Amino acid sequence: MNVIYQSTYYTLYQSVKERSFYVDFGQKMVRMSLCQLLSLRYKVMSIPIESHFDGDLNEHGFEVLLLCNKEHLFVLNTYEILDLKQFVEQSFVALGLSVGAETASV
Amino acid sequence: MKDIARQSMSIKVESMDLLNQQIKMEAHASATYLAMASWCEQNGFFTSAKFFYKQTEEERGHMMKIFEFLVDTGGNPVSPEVTDINHDYSSIVDVFENTLEHEVAVTKSIHNIVKKARELGDLATERFLDWFVLEQVEEENTIRDILDMINVTGTEGVGLQMIDNKVADWID
Repeated sequence: MNVIYQSTYYTLYQSVKERSFYVDFGQKMVRMSLCQLLSLRYKVMSIPIESHFDGDLNEHGFEVLLLCNKEHLFVLNTYEILDLKQFVEQSFVALGLSVGAETASV
Repeated sequence: MKDIARQSMSIKVESMDLLNQQIKMEAHASATYLAMASWCEQNGFFTSAKFFYKQTEEERGHMMKIFEFLVDTGGNPVSPEVTDINHDYSSIVDVFENTLEHEVAVTKSIHNIVKKARELGDLATERFLDWFVLEQVEEENTIRDILDMINVTGTEGVGLQMIDNKVADWID
């Protein structure tokens, strides 16, 4: 397996033999198709990070993330979510499917 | 190393995000035209109601066209959440003026995605949207023509009834 991108808490691998990707979440390794990676991206980018800094909107500063058709469940804190957002964004740049944030804004 | 990602997806994720926003906009337009049909039915503009039933189907068709494009290119189309639909209009003129505003907003959004796709070098998305650019010219023109007809007919006396009858010209 080849490392595609690594952040503080997460690593994305590509397995050419299995034609799939692996994300190491630290707690466990999750195998994903590109569709599932896109779904992860959508879920992570939809998390309103501002609510983590507002006690009324997100009292405990945690997010529950269900992945791969509810096969995996993660409870992540603010630091992990911030890192996951950056990880997802940069992973797609590394995969050649995104041009990155600096040119993506319209 | 093989490029599995590129083999699975043929557009940029930035284009996919913008097309998902467009899906939401088309769904919102479809729901708005249904609300307008409801207003027309309740206020005796039965031909205009038929026009808006047709418009609501057309907008859903546009939404599905984008949805299917995202499927074909290996993207992740998202079923949109549609909220905040206005059901209150002061007159039939207000209904059609709002329709034109809606169509202009859709046109601007489509143009914005075309420009972005061009900037990204995403030829597939750019070419796909050619049809939408021309479709919006037609959509805007239809509503402008109806507003011109309303202006010529006037809303006094039997004007409103004549306006409603005349809208039939734009149904087929």
